[in-house]
Amino acid sequence: MASSCSQALRHHVCKSSRILRVHLQKAWPNRSFVLNSAADQQPAVSSPVEEIVIPKKKTWSKEAVLQALASTVNRDPTASDYRFQDDPYLTPKTSSEFKLFSLSQESGRNAAKYFISTYPKYFQKDYAQPHIPCLMPETLEAQIEEVSEAALIERIQMRKVKAAVDLYDQLQQAGTPVSLDVTNQLLDLICFYGDCDPAQENVPEQRNEETEDVQDEPQTKKGRASKASDKLKAAWKENNNAERIFALLSEPNTHSYSALIRGMVKYGAYSKAFSTYTDLLNNQLKADVSTFNALITAAPEVKEKYNEKWELIVDLLKQMAEQKVKPNLLTLNAVLKALRRCGTVGKSQAFPVISEMRALSIDPSLASYNHLLSIFYKPGAPFQGQTDILQEVMNEVSGKSFTPQDPDDAQFFITAVRICLDTKDIEQAYRVHELLGVGENWRLLGNDFQQNIYHARFFSLLCMMENIDVVLKWYRDLVPSVYYPSSNVMRDLLQVLDTDNRLDLIPQIWKDLKQLGHGNRQTLVEELLTLMAREKQNQEVQETFAECALDIKKMYDTGDRGKVMMSWTAGSLSDLVSVLLAAQRRQDAWEILKLFKTHNRVPSEELLDKFLTCIKESGDVNQALELVQISAGFCLPGTPKLIQRVQQEFLLSEQQKSMLSDLEIQTFNSD
Amino acid sequence: MFPTCCRIPNSALSYSSVISSGEDMAGAAGGSNALFCKNMATSLVRKTKLLSNRAARIRVAKGDKPVTYEQAYHPHHIGHRKGWLSQHTSNLQGEDGAAERVVEDVFIRRFMYGTFHGCLADEVVIKRRGNLLLICAVMIQKLLPSKFYFLIGYTEELLSHFYKCPVKIEMQTVEEKVVYKYL
Repeated sequence: MASSCSQALRHHVCKSSRILRVHLQKAWPNRSFVLNSAADQQPAVSSPVEEIVIPKKKTWSKEAVLQALASTVNRDPTASDYRFQDDPYLTPKTSSEFKLFSLSQESGRNAAKYFISTYPKYFQKDYAQPHIPCLMPETLEAQIEEVSEAALIERIQMRKVKAAVDLYDQLQQAGTPVSLDVTNQLLDLICFYGDCDPAQENVPEQRNEETEDVQDEPQTKKGRASKASDKLKAAWKENNNAERIFALLSEPNTHSYSALIRGMVKYGAYSKAFSTYTDLLNNQLKADVSTFNALITAAPEVKEKYNEKWELIVDLLKQMAEQKVKPNLLTLNAVLKALRRCGTVGKSQAFPVISEMRALSIDPSLASYNHLLSIFYKPGAPFQGQTDILQEVMNEVSGKSFTPQDPDDAQFFITAVRICLDTKDIEQAYRVHELLGVGENWRLLGNDFQQNIYHARFFSLLCMMENIDVVLKWYRDLVPSVYYPSSNVMRDLLQVLDTDNRLDLIPQIWKDLKQLGHGNRQTLVEELLTLMAREKQNQEVQETFAECALDIKKMYDTGDRGKVMMSWTAGSLSDLVSVLLAAQRRQDAWEILKLFKTHNRVPSEELLDKFLTCIKESGDVNQALELVQISAGFCLPGTPKLIQRVQQEFLLSEQQKSMLSDLEIQTFNSD
Repeated sequence: MFPTCCRIPNSALSYSSVISSGEDMAGAAGGSNALFCKNMATSLVRKTKLLSNRAARIRVAKGDKPVTYEQAYHPHHIGHRKGWLSQHTSNLQGEDGAAERVVEDVFIRRFMYGTFHGCLADEVVIKRRGNLLLICAVMIQKLLPSKFYFLIGYTEELLSHFYKCPVKIEMQTVEEKVVYKYL
């Protein structure tokens, strides 16, 4: 294509050059060197008679330029999510702030939508050419009032379940026949929503929020998952509208049975679904693909033993073949999902199922791979050398861009990274993360909660397996633009610092911890202090440690705005004192030592020893004496030794000597 | 009788020429006429003021009134020391819709002033890029960020539906109103 283009061009050039030469020859016969230019040399034409194939014009989509531009830009690791304003005051710094800000923005939008739908007459003027339908006010009330089939269709389209059922009843009473199609649509509506009206988007879900309060703060994001399961918990009621309307039908067809069976399976009436299916067979009707999918999903629920479940599924598949119903991707996924509940049978049958479906040209989607991985890697179970399955799956999946075809697609990444975490396989984890960057796959990562889980697991694995430089690189890339780590993950990070002996980074990590809102978690802070106090570092690092330690002390003191107050322990106080002493900050350390008394904690002997050594360097005798008195005040067994040390190492006046000997006698007596 | 002020503005000159011609014609009346004319002339002196521009200007006063950069510079500094508060292409040759843009701008400014009441630190800047209406505002950190986001979501949604085009808000916050000088 391109070559024929260039050939065409060359033909043109040759022709024009010949013309040029002819003119030149006529005009300037003396200037012969011009004629030796490149235009003179004719390029070798491969075949004198050649078809010039004009390539078909390539059509680009409307967003092609934008997509090309977008592909040149990577994610900015210093910016927060695109939803938020680019201002330090308005950027969320913790995961709870993230959720709060995005939800408050959404609720602002809902408030505006409420106004728009309540007063639509102010928003009717249409400036936009071409017309933008989503910016017009939506009509929430049904327009057609009279009792007719058209009104019923309208209410079905507006998803008003109760109104539609009432209208249907009115139609029946009035005697007007309702066509089978419309009745089927009505059945679809009722079975999909389980015979209750879907929650309106603008109305805040107050009922669900009460159940959310019970679940505690670490699970705040579980709220969204619980909402979906709350809706599904609405069980299939006996003799509800769907069954009643179905019974009124004189000749139910495949569609009606399908709607009924799928509704029953969705809302938990599994055995009823199977009995309805036998009805369908008795009426010599054929079922369609979605019916079979629903029945396969319900199969593990009605049988107890693994073999029986599998036999039922095989039975259903055979009937499907008999009725000449072609399976689709959802069938494959339903079978695999059912196999998850079949134990060892699942492991043996999973691969044959996939290969059979491949033979029918059904390609597995990410959901199928997700089910496959869940069959082989049960959470919490020990692994018996099955690590290669994940590798095989990643081989299949790498480099491909997937579109959402099944609701369970979003679980794939979380499952994959969980398996990597459990098997400590960093290579596969990198491949999983790479897959996320291919094409449209980022859409399949799920909502904010699922993204958080994914990143938490990925980062924990990194902390476990990689050295500090790699971990820090990922840390700077992910935190806090994409992921707000929890305190557990931050503790993993501290362990990595410890392992790789980069404790000098602790003050920076402390700053991040404060910003993330983990500055008042007691265990984390105590671990920080222990790490800082453990070894003596060089001078500048020690200075930074001292600053950091004083900052930490402030966190203990101010319990403002109802934050969780931390309480001092002996260990944390000692660590704090050691850090300050190592940085030669005797005055600050002295203040902290006094805190022991106020908070009823007992200092250890090593600490007081260290302190004495430090005091000796400065030669402050009074302070040494006070130290001994503090030690005596706590009735520490090491007091006599301290006294001896003071007597030996310091120059004491008579008064001080007598005080010391008094103390010695006291402690001797108390022993 | 010409008035005895040192400088007569152009509009007043025509006045004085009428009066002088009136005086010539009424020469027979004598003294009373002269008095009449003199009265008119003095009242002319009092009533003629130097007509000055008062648009978008805060006059120099005692020195305790804080004034932002935008308010401190007068409209003739636009393009020299100030930028434009509203940017659109309808004032170019051959483009139409300038009046509609002005009305939209006025509405948007009032809307922002009312919705973010007491939070605006300076005038709102409105930019139009293609279909998009970009409202750039500097706010004082008077509300909690979650409240700001609520109002941002509300404004964007409402104005998008009202003007049938995407509306985005770009917000920057400052701790206090930025004072340029005190007038």
